[in-house]
Amino acid sequence: MIICDRLTKTFGSITAIQDFTLEIPDGCIFGLLGPNGAGKTTTMRMLSCLIRPTLGKAQIDSYEIGKKEDAQKIRGMIGLLPEAPGLYETLGAYKNLDYYGQLYGVPKQRREESIRNTLTDLGLWERRNEPVGGFSKGMKQKIAIARALIHDPKYIFLDEPTASLDPAAAKIVREYILELKKRGDTILINTHNLSEAERICDQVALVKNRIVKVGNPKRLARGLFARTINITMEKIPSSLLKDISSLDFVLQAQVKENQLVLQVKNPEEDNPQVISWLIKQGLHVQFVTEEEHSLEDVYLKLIEEAAR
Amino acid sequence: MHWRNAWIVMRKDLDEFKKQKLVIGSIIAMPIVLGVVLPLVMFVPMVTMVPLERQWDVNGLLQIGSLPDDASIPWVNQSVENASFNAMVLKHKTLINVQLTNCIIVSCVLDNTTIIDSTIENSSLSSSYLSNVTVIRSEGSALDGSNILTVSSNLRFTKTKPSEIDQVLPLMFNMVLMIFIIIPATLPTIIATYSIVGEKNNRSLEPLLATPTTDGELLAGKIFSAFVPSMGSTLLAFTLGVTLLDVVLIPKVGYPLLPNLTWILSILLLAPTACLMSVLACVLVSSKVSDVRAAQQLGGFIVMPVVVLMLGVLSGFIFLSPVMIVVFAGLYGCLDLGLFYFAKAIFNRETILTKWT
Repeated sequence: MIICDRLTKTFGSITAIQDFTLEIPDGCIFGLLGPNGAGKTTTMRMLSCLIRPTLGKAQIDSYEIGKKEDAQKIRGMIGLLPEAPGLYETLGAYKNLDYYGQLYGVPKQRREESIRNTLTDLGLWERRNEPVGGFSKGMKQKIAIARALIHDPKYIFLDEPTASLDPAAAKIVREYILELKKRGDTILINTHNLSEAERICDQVALVKNRIVKVGNPKRLARGLFARTINITMEKIPSSLLKDISSLDFVLQAQVKENQLVLQVKNPEEDNPQVISWLIKQGLHVQFVTEEEHSLEDVYLKLIEEAAR
Repeated sequence: MHWRNAWIVMRKDLDEFKKQKLVIGSIIAMPIVLGVVLPLVMFVPMVTMVPLERQWDVNGLLQIGSLPDDASIPWVNQSVENASFNAMVLKHKTLINVQLTNCIIVSCVLDNTTIIDSTIENSSLSSSYLSNVTVIRSEGSALDGSNILTVSSNLRFTKTKPSEIDQVLPLMFNMVLMIFIIIPATLPTIIATYSIVGEKNNRSLEPLLATPTTDGELLAGKIFSAFVPSMGSTLLAFTLGVTLLDVVLIPKVGYPLLPNLTWILSILLLAPTACLMSVLACVLVSSKVSDVRAAQQLGGFIVMPVVVLMLGVLSGFIFLSPVMIVVFAGLYGCLDLGLFYFAKAIFNRETILTKWT
């Protein structure tokens, strides 16, 4: 489990992140969302024991961030994928992975097996000795992810894991991350890709130099936006808007072309009444859907609010 | 500190280094040019043009040849045959079939003579047996050994002052030797300055620093990965240089002059400590700057202790004797140790990762 308590980092007069308080349970995929300069990478670096917090505390299992004697233990438990793949471009994929396997103290046989399996999965086994400098960005990113996982870490920190990948490669990486979750690994992801976070994260924290909001991506949207129902009809009479607004459970009503857009107090109870009322009015209801707010809507709204 | 981790870092760096053909080329070419070609260019004209004739060292001869107070009264201008003498001073004699022990022999003609523990001056030797004898200015063919039947191992010839080559060689050897100290101190600026800041620029430093490797292990690995090729290349140039210098000089002086004790101590003690100092300085600078060029310029500046030694040698203020080599190697060794602990103390992952100016 990762516990952060008012974690703060300043660089001179600039505060990168302030009062970052959070608990990330084991086996969870946790996303840190925020614009550039929001302090996501700084937070990840603090948790990786690469930089020391200015204030506050954080614990990974029983080890404390910022304590020199715990730093090595924490680094051994973490697999980090930084923003840039940072591979040794003149060396082959095998040597890149083998180097890190050795530094993490992975036994030779397990290391060889792991590298072989990973490179075979990535379709790179035949090209294992080619300098990685000649590989595509996506390929490099995959190798870098494999490098972060070479020692089978309990905690995996991924900083923009799909940023440089084409859609197909990004999909493979996302599926891979979900596979890791099934193994019980705890994954912390920094990302700008909101749809990605929505798809794979159990929890997200919106960050803008401090935590703006934490929660499940879907629940966040529900908490922020009133639930809206779109009712598509063959024809909408001009008097409908006035009539339906008079119903006491209807909070707001709008007409957009052949769609009636409604906000009601309690959709689960009120929606059937609305539909019955419409049918009684002799209207032909074609579709009824609930308008979903994406994480992007949540993100933009919250970040906008935080900037005010 | 786990040396295994330092070893892993070093091997990876060497693997990367092996792929950089141009860097390898310069690492090999520079020592070859400075340590092999340049000395040959200096020595070949010298040995072909400067005469090797040795002149009699008259002043030295008078000093060495002064007789002790208790010497016996000399026999002068006599011819002695089939005799045996002990503790005598023999002057202007012709000695045939004579055995001499503890004698001082001046201006004699010795034929078929056995001389033991004696001093011979101004004499001509022929078919003589010499044992524990100091020969001073003995003329004729005797001294080239053709007419001396046997000589003891500690026979000492102290009769001549050096030839021009004899006078010039030690100075030139000193200069060439300095090249083999300068080379290992200069080469690391090509490799070591890149070690940390290069990784930072390639963005490979962050995942490396995120491993459980300690600062000491990382630094040690980086240091050895610059030290090994620098010293390897120096040793290659040294071996080649010494061999070729001997090939050039043997026909003139008659025996291999190099490597002598000074040269052996230099390559085994002074060159490695100077190299290590340079590597440490460059790695230290590399961990403190954010640009490879800045690291190279500063790294080159920090090899000043080696430059001081070079200036001392070139100006004639310092002569590289074995004792001097050991003194400087000890000094450099202490500096190396201090530099390592200093580099370790100021190695800061946070600064390295976050500072870009």
